[in-house]
Amino acid sequence: MNIVVILVLTAIGIACGAIIYLAYVKIPHKVKGLEKIEEISNALPGMNCGACGYAGCFAYAQELAKNSDLITQTPCAVAMQDPEAVSCLEKALNISLDTSALCKKALIHCGGNSEVLYNYDGIQSCKAAARLGSGYKKCPYACLGFGDCVAACPQGGISIDKEGGIAVIEQGLCTGCGLCAAECPQGLIELVPAGTKVAFRCNYQPLRDIPGREKCEYGCIHCRKCFNACKYEAITWNKEKAIPEFDIEKCTLCGKCIEACPQHTLAFFTPVRTEAEPALSQ
Amino acid sequence: MSNLITIFITMALLNNFILVKFLGLCPFFGVSKKLSNAVSMGAAVTFVMVIASIATWIITQYILIPFNVVYMSTVIFILVIASLVQIIEMFIMRTNYALYSAFGIYLALITTNCAVLGITLWNITEEYNLLQSIFAALGGGVGFTLVLAIMSGIRERLELSDSPKSMKGLPIAFLVAMLLGLAFSGFGGII
Repeated sequence: MNIVVILVLTAIGIACGAIIYLAYVKIPHKVKGLEKIEEISNALPGMNCGACGYAGCFAYAQELAKNSDLITQTPCAVAMQDPEAVSCLEKALNISLDTSALCKKALIHCGGNSEVLYNYDGIQSCKAAARLGSGYKKCPYACLGFGDCVAACPQGGISIDKEGGIAVIEQGLCTGCGLCAAECPQGLIELVPAGTKVAFRCNYQPLRDIPGREKCEYGCIHCRKCFNACKYEAITWNKEKAIPEFDIEKCTLCGKCIEACPQHTLAFFTPVRTEAEPALSQ
Repeated sequence: MSNLITIFITMALLNNFILVKFLGLCPFFGVSKKLSNAVSMGAAVTFVMVIASIATWIITQYILIPFNVVYMSTVIFILVIASLVQIIEMFIMRTNYALYSAFGIYLALITTNCAVLGITLWNITEEYNLLQSIFAALGGGVGFTLVLAIMSGIRERLELSDSPKSMKGLPIAFLVAMLLGLAFSGFGGII
């Protein structure tokens, strides 16, 4: 008796699956342009994160089918990470894409280590903490470490480092959707090109008139040592902000600037780890 | 024929899915903010109800009853309705795009709608034949659309009305739903 039930259920399940498959293959495409939309939509990640600004991946695919320039104006950051998806999109849209410029990763401009200014015991959220005098840390631009970005990440790619008390992004999981950047009340998260080699882990700028060294032993003190250390002219000095800017093309990952930095503000962005790089948890 | 009309009216008003049987409450509050959306949703539900009733009637008669596994109908019907809606959606999308955009997202949402599952199970318990099942499904769908349309009409006006701040939005909608339910209980004795 029980066997019959199992057999009937299995048979119906298999039949339903087979019919759906047959329908997918056999139903003719009578609507013009729909095949193209489906092809584009199959190349997209299908997670419907909405970071492109459309209601979902299918809505984005519909717009892409009408106007293929859209892929460079509001690129799907997630698809750009996946070489296979990119080649499918290139084929579907009949264009060639420069992924190094379009593919983004999230970077947190904070190395932690700012001293504590007062004991915060309120709502455990960065947004709430940031309202009380720019947070409980001495540096008003520091990562507050309550993990508003952790909750926003659909990939589970952000965690809070227990020792350093700051958010850490697992670059392998980051799809560059930018949902975390919108959440951070301190504006610490920036979407940078995926080829970025050196991470500048400080958000302090002298224009805001707060001395770096007093507030945080790892904050940028604008000494220009990194600029002078680079033999490949990969670093230019932004005089307005008094911070270094990095040229991805010229950087050879030699690590001299990271060694030279007296404050350990600089670190390797991607998993290349050497002795010179201070661990994020310091 | 009079029997069929009786079934239709019973399902539409007396045994109304939303207000009497409390099935399909999610779209009742989720999709009843605008009249046009509510009518789209109602049309999609009616359509799927009729198709699902036909399909499940065939499955009940030729598979479930001969193998004596009618007690598994809930599980099997979920499976059947879900696949059916997928196929219908694919078919409409590829053959008539205007109709597809009119149904919009609602067709896919109905896959897990309890009102659709409700009508198919109701057909079994009442032991309807195929024609009666179709009329029951039509009645259920029309009743569903009717209540959704009434509710959305009221809620469009409620948006503009001066209700207390704490009652704005869903709370006042729940109260209105209660009054609507009372009104529909008045149909109780007509057949």
